[in-house]
Amino acid sequence: MTTPITTPMTTPVTAPAASPGLRVQVRLPLDRFELSVDLNTEKQVTGIFGASGAGKTSVLEAVCGIRRHAQGIISLGHETWLDSQRGVCVKPWQRHIGYVPQGGLLFPHKNVRQNLLAGKKRAVRNGYAVRQTFETAVHILELGPLLERTAHTLSGGERQRVALGRAICSGPRLLLLDEPFASLDLALRRKLLPFLRRVRSEFQIPMLFVSHDPLEVQALCDDLIVLQNGRMIAHGAPRAVLTDPQVFPLAEQQGFENVLPCRMVDDQGSTSRVRLGEAEVGEGTPVELVTIRSEARPGEAMLASIPASDIMLASKRPEGLSARNILPARITQLHSVGHVGLATAELSPDLPPLTVEVTERSFVELGLKVGSRVFLVIKAMSCRLYWAEGPVGSLAGEAEQRERGLVL
Amino acid sequence: MSPEVWPVIILTLQVASVSTLLVLLPATLLGYVLARYEFWGKHVLSALVGLPLVLPPTAVGFLLLRLFAVDGPLGRESLGFDLHILLTWKGAVIATATMSLPLVARTAKATFEAINPRLELMAQTLGHGRLATFFQYSLPMARRGLLAAVILGFTRAMGEFGATVTIAGNIPGRTQTIAAAIFSAQQVGAHERADFFMLSALVIGFLAIMSTELLAQGRSLSGIARP
Repeated sequence: MTTPITTPMTTPVTAPAASPGLRVQVRLPLDRFELSVDLNTEKQVTGIFGASGAGKTSVLEAVCGIRRHAQGIISLGHETWLDSQRGVCVKPWQRHIGYVPQGGLLFPHKNVRQNLLAGKKRAVRNGYAVRQTFETAVHILELGPLLERTAHTLSGGERQRVALGRAICSGPRLLLLDEPFASLDLALRRKLLPFLRRVRSEFQIPMLFVSHDPLEVQALCDDLIVLQNGRMIAHGAPRAVLTDPQVFPLAEQQGFENVLPCRMVDDQGSTSRVRLGEAEVGEGTPVELVTIRSEARPGEAMLASIPASDIMLASKRPEGLSARNILPARITQLHSVGHVGLATAELSPDLPPLTVEVTERSFVELGLKVGSRVFLVIKAMSCRLYWAEGPVGSLAGEAEQRERGLVL
Repeated sequence: MSPEVWPVIILTLQVASVSTLLVLLPATLLGYVLARYEFWGKHVLSALVGLPLVLPPTAVGFLLLRLFAVDGPLGRESLGFDLHILLTWKGAVIATATMSLPLVARTAKATFEAINPRLELMAQTLGHGRLATFFQYSLPMARRGLLAAVILGFTRAMGEFGATVTIAGNIPGRTQTIAAAIFSAQQVGAHERADFFMLSALVIGFLAIMSTELLAQGRSLSGIARP
């Protein structure tokens, strides 16, 4: 496809005016514990975070109605799908939900086009412009070259993109994504992230997004709940929730990554330069970051990720360092998790803050307090860049090549 | 060769076809129910369905004979009219259907079991009710396995001897099938005639097995790619 990079897409075809309130208040007995969730949100994308076996998938299954023993209330806007006390339990096929399960579950007896249109009848019944939705989904998910292929010839990443498209084309009022990329390797997952962000901005359907990847969750969600052994232990803005002392250890080996929206400034040969923030033209003094090189064009919206453990704190501006980024900041929050200290540092009032992981001893030795002026020292090599949405038409090929082992 | 051989072959194919058609729907539903649902008495039902596989065919035939005999529960005296089952081709159909049902039902059950039930749930979340899911998703996904089941059922019906002769007899030109014809010919020393029927059975059987092999080629019976 030869669409220019940032063409505004057709007007959203399935978009309600504003995100209707989603209420998921359920109890469900599971093998090892009872799942108990109480979520009430008006945000478009709500993440469900937690270690494997915490009950994340069961929440989605209760919402779609394939868990018969779920008790409580599930509703979206004026539509109630479950209200046990009033004896309401709408059948799964009448709930208008687009479900993207783990592994995709494409129908083996249908090709990609037929899979995408599997929920067409409902979409038509609900008055959606199916053809337009189909074309938009094929376009933004870059499925054009796959349409006549059968499910079993697709690679893992392709399968997930088709499963996502199938859910969208069924005219859903709510999308449920169950770790859509969990079975894929990390680098490929990052390449598929822009597709989710495109779906998010193009269709504006409310979503529940299950993941145990802190970066994905921050790149996609407006709101986040955390499950541990079936209980909801936190709820709030993704960054705040993930750095919560109770939640922080759940990210396991990955640790916490700061995810910052930014715009490409220029390519400096071995590195790239970005300006933090979403605005196309910065107001005031822009904060710039030198990162690993990216081929994105100047002005392109990107996401920069910086692991919390890769940021150093200095109380005075250090000299004679190889690190490319030395940024003045102000500490706004301090707390400790086990033997690790987490500091929240603000670069500028209109930018999202960064979380820095240092040892508790450094806290003491640097005399850090809320309000302290510090410098953040970050190597360019610790700053990775990902497409926010990426130029439509160009990402699938790259993802595909990576999956077939053609590029590293 | 006398008497005529072709009526025997035609009758055999006719009996096997009718009995396969008769068995197809109940056996598929039975296979699906046994594969997908848990209910009280499931094991009893499963055992009953499998029974004709383990009984001597003549025992099954005799049971049917009792059922359709003049004084049996489905005989003239109970019903008030005659179904004309005994010693007719209809009797042969009932005997072969009874014998091939378990085979078809079991193959269907295995086929449905090989299909991930989550695919059916997936179809439901896309707006398809239970019936639509069964006809538009479960059946098409099981088509290869079901076709193999049909072929197995057909060949089983073709080769059936014990139950058929017990209820329908072995009347040349009326109820004699290939299996019975080989037996009769061999009894009276008509080896050429026996050879002819033996070879016909061989050819039909070979074609049937070949087609199941071709169906299975490259794909598992449920239509899902083999790893």
